[in-house]
Amino acid sequence: MLSQHTIRRRMAASTPLVLALGLLAFVLLATTMGDRATARMATETLIRVTLVAGFWIFVGNSGVVSFGHAAFACVGAYVSAWLTLKPAMKGTLLPGLPDLIAAADWPALPAVLTGGALAALLALVSGAAILRLSGIAASIATFAFLAMVNTIWANWTPVTGGTSSVVGLDRYVTPWVALGWAVAALIAASLYGLSASGLALRATREDEVAASASGIDRYRHRLLAYVLSAFFCGVGGALMGHFIGVINPDAYYLNLTFLMLAMLVVGGIGSLSGAVAGVLALSLAVEGLVRMEKGVTLGATTFALPAGSQEIIIAAAMILVLIFRPAGLLAGREITLPARWVTGRGTTHNGPATDRRET
Amino acid sequence: MSLQLLFDALSLGGIYAIAALGIALIFGVMQLVNFAHGQFIACAVFALILPSSQAVAELGLGRLPTPLLIPVILGFGAALALLAEAAVFRPLRNAAPVALMVASFALGVALQNLLLVIYGSRPKAVSLWAGLGHPVQIGGAQVPLLQLLVIGAVALILAGLALMLKHSRIGLEMRAAAQDFGMARLLGVRANRVISGAFALSGALAAVVALVMVAQTGVADVRMGGQIMLIAFIATVLGGMGSLAGAVAAGFAIGAASALLQMALPAEARPFRDAFLYGLVILVLLFRPQGLFAPAGAKPRV
Amino acid sequence: MMAKLGIHDLAVRYGKLTAIADLSFTVAEGERLFISGPNGAGKSSLLGAISGAVRADHGRIEMDGDILTGLGPERIARRGLSMVPEGRRIFGALSVRENLLVGTGMRRDRAAIADDLETAFTAFPILRDRANAPAGALSGGQQQMLAIARALMTNPKVMLVDEPSLGLAPRIVDEVYDRLCALQALRGLTLVIVEQSSTRAARVGGRMILMRGGRIVADGDAATFAATDLMSEAYFGDAA
Repeated sequence: MLSQHTIRRRMAASTPLVLALGLLAFVLLATTMGDRATARMATETLIRVTLVAGFWIFVGNSGVVSFGHAAFACVGAYVSAWLTLKPAMKGTLLPGLPDLIAAADWPALPAVLTGGALAALLALVSGAAILRLSGIAASIATFAFLAMVNTIWANWTPVTGGTSSVVGLDRYVTPWVALGWAVAALIAASLYGLSASGLALRATREDEVAASASGIDRYRHRLLAYVLSAFFCGVGGALMGHFIGVINPDAYYLNLTFLMLAMLVVGGIGSLSGAVAGVLALSLAVEGLVRMEKGVTLGATTFALPAGSQEIIIAAAMILVLIFRPAGLLAGREITLPARWVTGRGTTHNGPATDRRET
Repeated sequence: MSLQLLFDALSLGGIYAIAALGIALIFGVMQLVNFAHGQFIACAVFALILPSSQAVAELGLGRLPTPLLIPVILGFGAALALLAEAAVFRPLRNAAPVALMVASFALGVALQNLLLVIYGSRPKAVSLWAGLGHPVQIGGAQVPLLQLLVIGAVALILAGLALMLKHSRIGLEMRAAAQDFGMARLLGVRANRVISGAFALSGALAAVVALVMVAQTGVADVRMGGQIMLIAFIATVLGGMGSLAGAVAAGFAIGAASALLQMALPAEARPFRDAFLYGLVILVLLFRPQGLFAPAGAKPRV
Repeated sequence: MMAKLGIHDLAVRYGKLTAIADLSFTVAEGERLFISGPNGAGKSSLLGAISGAVRADHGRIEMDGDILTGLGPERIARRGLSMVPEGRRIFGALSVRENLLVGTGMRRDRAAIADDLETAFTAFPILRDRANAPAGALSGGQQQMLAIARALMTNPKVMLVDEPSLGLAPRIVDEVYDRLCALQALRGLTLVIVEQSSTRAARVGGRMILMRGGRIVADGDAATFAATDLMSEAYFGDAA
């Protein structure tokens, strides 16, 4: 007979599986049923899953809101671009690159991985300072960090191209590549959440005093989550570049920060499933609103929302969620397999299909 | 040269201090880090001009005579902040500081895009108080008249605010509420009055910053509140979260550091001045996480 | 005669935890009521609910026949109910005088405020000596005096005092109670005091309610409690 604890652990471990299957169904639906625009939207959504699952690793477990993760996406995207662009092109576009990088002509996959790794390295260095601060002050410091990275990227023209776009990136991201990375991010996020470090970090989120009394080194667990989180945000940023083929610093600044935060808040910061639900819900909303900004023809007249209304509507939705459903759409629950499935035989545990995270 | 530097530092620091006060006032009474403050500033800037997509803006409210213009714009800032409080923050009164902060961020995005919808994304030239750019000779330094006026106005505002906090009824209630809101309410202090008062003051201070920025730069840009808001945040963290005097002191310190960096950095590194500044701040916090101006040993309040 | 303060079927819950279950009692005008009981009995929650700081789940709280339930703490304070909270919660960065003045915002009669300030300074001379010093610099006993004087500055009809003896030396506690009783006589106050020690309550004198598990287990003259086993039963017994 399986203990209640084992069942709960197995149910928790089934979360990434359920989410991955859900995303697979989403891709299949989008690529077979929809047009090219739909497939494009599906790919963008999956890249956002990578970004937001990475983002959740830190924010969801530590309870500290970060405004700096778009900077990790920025670093990941540029590192990957530096390594994959044709050397001849780099010579003219980015003359300031060191010779070793200027000569590099890597395939996309190792470049994306390196982008993630360098984002993680940057997180290690910056986090060592920022994460010593208490919650709100740390949030402000992450915002300063974002502004710092953006200032550097927008002005370091010989290396980053400044505010003008870097073009011609290898467009390696198909819906399937994006799905692969999204699933990898979900598995990593889920494993971290179930790890000793993840549990310890969530304990500090609930009650800082009690957690430190029980000997939890909050700073160390925060830093670990931050670094892991930055890796997937770096990867997500690189994927964005390799999907559209064009990058520029402003694509990795406040708008991306806002979108990632909105997705997390709307879906619910308390669970990974919530983060994914938030990405899906807002991606669909963004898609709809973008189409309405381009104009919708009804009979003889064309309605078009003015540019900018997309952000206004999403921001309003976010505020309404904070007021009326502060724990988000999923209210901190994880989607799992039912208990009788994970026990491997029919038992009397007809558990619910959702499970409140035990923190 | 050094006199010039002093004036630069004072005028820049003064504006940073006013912006930081706008953040610290609200944080003090309701633990809200207001990420919409930069957009309060931007909205007050755009309130001066008429909606159009032209590159040169036509003044609307900005055409009012100065003695009328200043109270009208300050009133606009205060009204905007009060509206934000009633619509967004009052329903969240009992929410966690993190939720409040995220809501203010969303509000900021909404306001910025509202400006985009109404005025378009192109920065606009605005000529407000064009005569104030003339330099005045003081000692060996050439100082723009505007800079002197800014320094004077900041001194006046800080003194007035200090007097108000120290000697008025609402000032006493704000200080009590900043320490222990629950206890203040048990003594009959009305939460709505104190919070509305803090928001109105904060919005009016945002409008002051807006007027100075327009006069200095001659530009209206929807993004113009962001950078100064960030500096104001940094000043409130350095000042010890919620300490008004600390925020002001840190605002001046950052102004001085900026002016010094601007002078000391080689020309090709100047665009990175703010990056150096932010990096410097993160470094400082590494050694004094409780802030520069909080008493040693004091714990951050959050 | 109508009761000054009436509590009817009051319940307070924090999530699934029940702090107060269907509690009812009344307090007469000018009465001194002690509330005693073990930790977790719901004493502080009770005072919190009456003062409006804690939300009641159901039930009714009345003062002079007016319903207080559902009002914010500032509205309740403005109707003449004042609170000296657990841990005193003085405003440490404000001066002693400013602490006293925070609670006068609802009053328009400046002369009466000045009179009350004088009364407070006469009752607690130390506060006059330290009037311009930051309140955080006062000792624990002085802070307790300040908390009481501050609550009186709202000109209350009913005053709630949560554990005035907590963390103070017995001699200081005597002093606090002496002043409290003198002020009660002077102002005709109705006092509700949370006090762990039944001997202390018996010595001061008054009515006493014994709480346990969010309910009232006994109600009577404080002097009789000290003599019976009711106290130890409330603390150690298993019958509620």
